[in-house]
This record gives sequence, C-alpha cells and structure tokens, in this order.
Amino acid sequence: MREKICGFPYEIQIQGLCYNEFMPDDLTQRILSLPIVSRFVHPPQFYYYRELLSELTKREIKQRYKQSVLGYAWVILNPLLQMLVMAFVFSKILRVANLGVPYPIFLYAGLLPWTLFSNSLMSSVNALVGNGGLLTKIYFPREIFVQSTILAKIVDFFLSSTVFILFMMYYRIPLSIHILWFVPIFLIQNFFTYGLSLVMAAANLFYRDIQYLLGLMLLVWMYLSPVIYPVEMFPDKYRWIFQLNPMAVFINAYRQVILGGSAPNFMSLGIGLVLSLALYVFGYILFKKLEGVFADVV
Amino acid sequence: MSSDVAISVQHVSKLFHKQKQRTFKELIPALFGGQKVVDSFWALEDINFEVKKGETIGIVGPNGSGKSTLLKLIAGVSRPTKGKITVNGRIAPLIELGAGFHPELTGRENVFLNGVILGLTRKEIEAKFKEIVDFAELWDFIDQPVKHYSSGMYLRLAFAVAVHTDPEILLIDEILAVGDASFQEKCFARLRAFQEAGKTIVIISHDLTSVQDFSDKALLIQNGKVQFAGKPAEVIAHYRAE
Repeated sequence: MREKICGFPYEIQIQGLCYNEFMPDDLTQRILSLPIVSRFVHPPQFYYYRELLSELTKREIKQRYKQSVLGYAWVILNPLLQMLVMAFVFSKILRVANLGVPYPIFLYAGLLPWTLFSNSLMSSVNALVGNGGLLTKIYFPREIFVQSTILAKIVDFFLSSTVFILFMMYYRIPLSIHILWFVPIFLIQNFFTYGLSLVMAAANLFYRDIQYLLGLMLLVWMYLSPVIYPVEMFPDKYRWIFQLNPMAVFINAYRQVILGGSAPNFMSLGIGLVLSLALYVFGYILFKKLEGVFADVV
Repeated sequence: MSSDVAISVQHVSKLFHKQKQRTFKELIPALFGGQKVVDSFWALEDINFEVKKGETIGIVGPNGSGKSTLLKLIAGVSRPTKGKITVNGRIAPLIELGAGFHPELTGRENVFLNGVILGLTRKEIEAKFKEIVDFAELWDFIDQPVKHYSSGMYLRLAFAVAVHTDPEILLIDEILAVGDASFQEKCFARLRAFQEAGKTIVIISHDLTSVQDFSDKALLIQNGKVQFAGKPAEVIAHYRAE
C-alpha cells in the first residue's frame, strides 16, 4: 500500500511516517529553507495529491452542467455563438481591416485563449470562498482548489477548440511546423493565469469585493488586448501597452504560429515568460504565507 | 516526543483577528478615519495536554469556549499563534460531516470524492465501496444526486465514508448523534471497534453521558483555558457543578 495522504506537509509523509509538527510561521520558514528549485516546483506534493486533484477537477467539471439539457455542449456552444455574433458585427457592420485570414478564424484564435484566461480567473477567485466547508475541515495544500478549477477550464478549452479545428479545415488554412510553438505558449499562459489566480483567490477571502473588481478588470483588459482587433489597428504610440500585457503577447503569438505559419516574436514571448514566472513566484509565496489563516477568515 | 504519544499540545495559544470591515465600502472610510481594521482576541490561551496512542480524550465546555478551535488546530487547518502541536498519525476529522459533498453529484460520486479528500486512493475506495454503502444502508439511493437525500441519509453516508478511511486518529466534533436510534447504535459500535483496535480518538460533545462512557480522560475548557483535567467522571461533575 502506498503512503497515505495524511493531510500533512509532504516532506514528512515521504519518510513513511505521518508526522506533523506545526509551529507558528513554520511553513514560511520551511519554504524559505527549501532549495530554490523545489521551492516552486514541488513534484512530490503534486504526486501525492494527484488523485485529490483529479477528483476535485472532475467535480468541477461534472457539477456545472448536471442540470442542463445540453450539458457539456454548452462548453462548445458558448464560445461558438459568441464568436458568430462578434464575427457578424466586426466583419459586416464595423469592418476590421483585411487580415489575410477570414475574420471568424482570426477572432476565434484570440477569443478561445482569452475565454480560458477569463473563465479560469473568474472561477479561481471563488475557489477558496466556495470551498469554505472543506477549508475549515481538513488540511491539504490549498492551492489544489485553484489548480483544480484551472484544470477544469483547460478541459473546456480543448473541447471548444474542436470547433476551431473544423473552421480551420473549412477555410483550408495551411499549417506549418511552427504550430508546435502552441505548446510552450499555452504553458506560459497558464502559468501566468495560475499566479494571478493564487493572488485573487486569497485576496477574495479577505474582501469579497475582489470578485466584482475582477469582473470589471477583465472587461477593460479584454479591450486592451488584441482579441477582437489586430494589433496593427492600435495607434502606434500606444502599442507599447501590448509589450507589458502578457495576454496580448500570448494572443499575438498564437495567431503568429497557427495562422501566420511562422515562429513567435521571441522578445515579446520572453518578456511574457519573465512576467509570468515573477507573478507565479509572488503569488505562491503570498498564498502560502496567508494559508495558515484561511480557515480563520473564511 | 516519545513514540507512544499521538497528540501533544504544548503551550498553545490562538489569537483571532476579526476583520471589522468585510467590504471596501466599509474598509476605505475606516482607513481614512483611523479606525481599527481588526479586532483581536485570544480564543485559546496556554493549552497543554497529551494524548497517548489508543487513548480517547473527551473535551467539554460551554459554547464558544474554544473547543472547536482546538480541534481545528489539531487537524492542521488552522495554525497556533504560540506554542507547538505535534501529531503522530493519520487524522480523519469528523468535523462538519459531508463538507466535501456536492449536492448535484450522486451518492456514488460523492463517496469517491469524499474518500479521496479524506486521504484514500481510488483503489482503496473501490475495495471498501460495498462496505461503506452497506454501513450507510443506502443501496437504493446510491446513484441519485445527494440533494434528493434526507438530512439523515446525507449524514449516514458522510459518517460511513469517514469511519471507513481507517485513520489512526479520529477527531469528532458533536456528531455522535447521527440518524435514527438503530444507526446511532451502529456508530457507537464502530467507535468501540476503533478503540479496541488501539486508535486514538478526540471527542468534543455536549452529550456529557457519551463523553463519560467513551473517554479515558477529559478536559474542561472555558474561555479558552483548561479549567480542569482528569478522569471523565470528575471533569463532568466539575462542569455540572458550575
């Protein structure tokens, strides 16, 4: 029988003994005493809690569409209908300049990753508040709540991408080897999402205003990212905004490697990577520092 | 710490900070007005005790005395402000039964979800599934969403999962009275079996008779302090005398 998950810090479990020693602030000290690499990667923890993570992810996916007639179809229908409405408005009424690819394809390539980002954040912000019952009951690393919500949204993303692939085939968009860049860009985007989600989820426990603020922030953020329009339409003197906006970098990069058939802009992607990692490190430390009082404030 | 000690609590104190303002609308004027943002009070002060392996300890005291806070500290969901808590063994908390249940999921799905939350693997749950549902007596409803369950059925299923996780230390917060009389007897029998198997149990209850029946020793907590510790009968007599 494998080692039990005893709900205790993982270093101790691995020794085969479930042994728990809590001192005030000891988690902070423990984090700071770990070697720099394992401080942020935690493979053993990920391994020991993998079943919990997968069950919570399944719960997240199952619960949403249990009572609806169309069930999981909504995951695909929602962005599809959104895309059709936007495509109608921006290619028939407010014409977006010639892009080289049909507008529905151009829009979808930006809208899908944006929807993933926005949905992940909107549900992560409630990941701790919504699991208050568990939070006060049993200990396991609290970031698992955030991880499971994001994983559920990633599953949604891949389901809704099937329609995008059909559109690609319909419009006969040629593919190139550069499409493989999708994988690293996707990973960086989710690192960025995860870091920001950790901060938001923890902050929302203390002040519930955060979730409303986030909704507003995401709306403004979407218009400041090239989701519905190409970067080229943005005034030249303001274009530096996109350099500092990781979501803009990712969306441009997706279009570049999938529709443009060339390598992404490594300079921009590099800045995006550094920003994502910095946010992740900051978010993780903040989250772990506050973890000890989550059960007291929820 | 010697190896026959399951739980040791040394000089533990817990300071609670109550946020006075829960929204920005309240917080921002308070910051400018120089009001206090948090209220602090000691929920527990200098608590000391030890539970040996295989012992059952009962903790009694009036509402708001800090019993549940103490249990949360032992479970590891909350951290002490001062002092040190050492726990040796796998814990299954029976605090707020069914906290991990999701109303839209079926009984079967919830058994797996809750089992994993309590630290079992899927394989272990599969192996124990029949036993769990037998114990809960819920075969007819196991594939229905738990939102259609009566509150008694809900608690029976939650209790069944919790006691089948085979923990070394069981934390019980006021859930000795689950379901009807015959199910209650089953729960008590299960607890007896736990004690005979040499497991450690911490019971918090207002049901003083069952605390006295089950415990090897007891603590009386009032206003966050241990008022009296000793044999269950003495502690309860002391508590009743107040």
